[in-house]
Amino acid sequence: MHLAIEMLRSSVLAATPVLLAGLGGTYTYYANVFNIAMEGMMLIGAFMAVAGSYLCGSWLVGMVSGMVGGLLAAVVFAIFSVGLKTDEFVTGTALNMLALGGTTYSLRQLFHVKGAFMSPRIVAIPRWRIPLLDSVPVLGPIVSGHPFIVYVALAMAVFTEWHIFRTRFGLRLRAAGEDSRAVDSVGVSSDRIKAQAILASGVLCGLAGAYLSLGYVTLFAENMSNGRGWIALAVIILTRGRPLELLLMSLMFGFFDGLGLSLQGTAIPPQFTQMVPYIATIIALYVYSREKRPGNASSKKIPAKAE
Amino acid sequence: MRRQAITAIIGVAVSLIAGLLILWIQGYPALESYSALFSYSLLSKFAIVSTLSKATPLILTGLSAAVAFGSNSVNLGQPGQFLIGAMAVAAFGIHVNLPAAAMIPLSIAAAMAAGALCAGIAAGLRRKFNMDEFITTLMLNFIADYFTLYLISGPMWDRTTYSPMTKMTNPSAWLPMWGGLSSALFVALTAFAVTLVLWNRSKLGYEWRVMGRNPVFSRVGGCRNDANFVMAMLLSGALAGLAGGLLVMGGMQHRFVKGMGAGYAWDGVMIAIVANSDMLPTGLYALFFAAIQTGAMGMEMETRVPSEFTLVLQAITVLFVVASRESAGVIMNRLAGAVRARRAERITIASEDGRNAPGN
Repeated sequence: MHLAIEMLRSSVLAATPVLLAGLGGTYTYYANVFNIAMEGMMLIGAFMAVAGSYLCGSWLVGMVSGMVGGLLAAVVFAIFSVGLKTDEFVTGTALNMLALGGTTYSLRQLFHVKGAFMSPRIVAIPRWRIPLLDSVPVLGPIVSGHPFIVYVALAMAVFTEWHIFRTRFGLRLRAAGEDSRAVDSVGVSSDRIKAQAILASGVLCGLAGAYLSLGYVTLFAENMSNGRGWIALAVIILTRGRPLELLLMSLMFGFFDGLGLSLQGTAIPPQFTQMVPYIATIIALYVYSREKRPGNASSKKIPAKAE
Repeated sequence: MRRQAITAIIGVAVSLIAGLLILWIQGYPALESYSALFSYSLLSKFAIVSTLSKATPLILTGLSAAVAFGSNSVNLGQPGQFLIGAMAVAAFGIHVNLPAAAMIPLSIAAAMAAGALCAGIAAGLRRKFNMDEFITTLMLNFIADYFTLYLISGPMWDRTTYSPMTKMTNPSAWLPMWGGLSSALFVALTAFAVTLVLWNRSKLGYEWRVMGRNPVFSRVGGCRNDANFVMAMLLSGALAGLAGGLLVMGGMQHRFVKGMGAGYAWDGVMIAIVANSDMLPTGLYALFFAAIQTGAMGMEMETRVPSEFTLVLQAITVLFVVASRESAGVIMNRLAGAVRARRAERITIASEDGRNAPGN
């Protein structure tokens, strides 16, 4: 019983970065921008968050600078892919490399360390105990007492669902993704909408990164996003961009991530337990491919080269 | 072709200048850093040998990505295929001891087979269950990474060492050295030549190229897209596997070491991207990237610019080369459009003049 609660609790924790990045990617999904830069945006966000928190001694500054970091990466992505019409797949890959190289380089430049940066001066994001829920026996320990970004992420899922399907911006966003020329012809710039979607994804991925380095753990390690951006992309493709389904799906991935963690210390070698979320992604892809109607192409979001 | 060369030169020049500015802003002696960078990568025999050995895996991983992207098969599993290829060679070289004449070809075959198998899994999942190879290859990277890490820190760990690595392979599996230069380069160049001929001169290569340009057209034209996709993935995987295998067979270590070849595979993806999946430019950019990476160590010694700076420089190069290539197209089209519009305007005016003049 105690183990089950512990596992569900860690699922929520592990699901949050995938959920936040996934919600960011949902905006670009509907704008028909193939955003594979999420991994890099997250990594830059994670680095900037630690840098902000360490230098200013405030988790708030850290979190905001993480978001700014994601935003800056998104600005670069938007300038190249929307402004200069560079292939999105290419831009995204280069940006991911830039993020990996840039954070490693800055880690050495700013903090003079290689590998990982830890310090007691890094202020972590506070954990929230939810007053009434906290005392509920099983539910309390699972959902209460997390870093507060977890709750922001949950609220964001609902907000994104509303924003994309119930507002004028969402309508335009989806229209720009369906047929950008039609949107242009009624006097709304589809390029501007695409850029806005990219910036929104940057802020959310930056927040996901801040959560990774200031909420989930309190340090920055090279390449610490470790494929979560890719998993978020897979989740978006699997759920066809529905924010609430995305919430469920990322909880499932969080569960497998947590499962991997809690299997550590058993007879199974740790390297195999760490594979669990990636194997789960492949299995989810299998299930999705089975239930999909034939002819309903999933490859709409796959690199321009694949078109 | 010439236009591509011009935009490539512009892109490389702009990114080098951008790198210079970044160094200068941070207060490093920027010009000195650059001269150190190039003198340590190009300006002595030792420097050139180092650059060429660095280029060996990059040529192959670049080629692997170019084959995949150029034929429209999305293989992003090079890092995993690289590791599995290296592991296959290490395992084979530790447990089998034959004369070098048999050992070397068999090791090469093992590396290519292992890489092809790894890519083949993704290709098979695509064919059988319609699972996106884009995601499966990415996920297989992580699985291969943890799997090889398990092997070198568990069953295959050489207990005499402190960090995870396998034992050394038998010396019969080592590639001979030629004056400091490993003959791995020769193997890579052979693979490059074979792939080039296959790509440009064979029926299969032609079908791959057509599939890369327009898969619908190639299917309508009677190409067997599904079979060609699997073949391209297998070749792509084999090349990435070979890159990993050669790193074990040539080089200094002759064993699978933790964190081995980190970056080679992703660099290959970037190289194929900047080269627009063309085979010859892929080889050239592989040399360019190798030169930057080799020079970086020299730069760090001379001017204390961290060698990680090259990671930034490479990413900038990709962005600027590709952007200048693609926006050059946009700008030139726009110019051509403007010229055409003006000509059309002139003709209309002329014809209107012609129509109006005699009547009045």
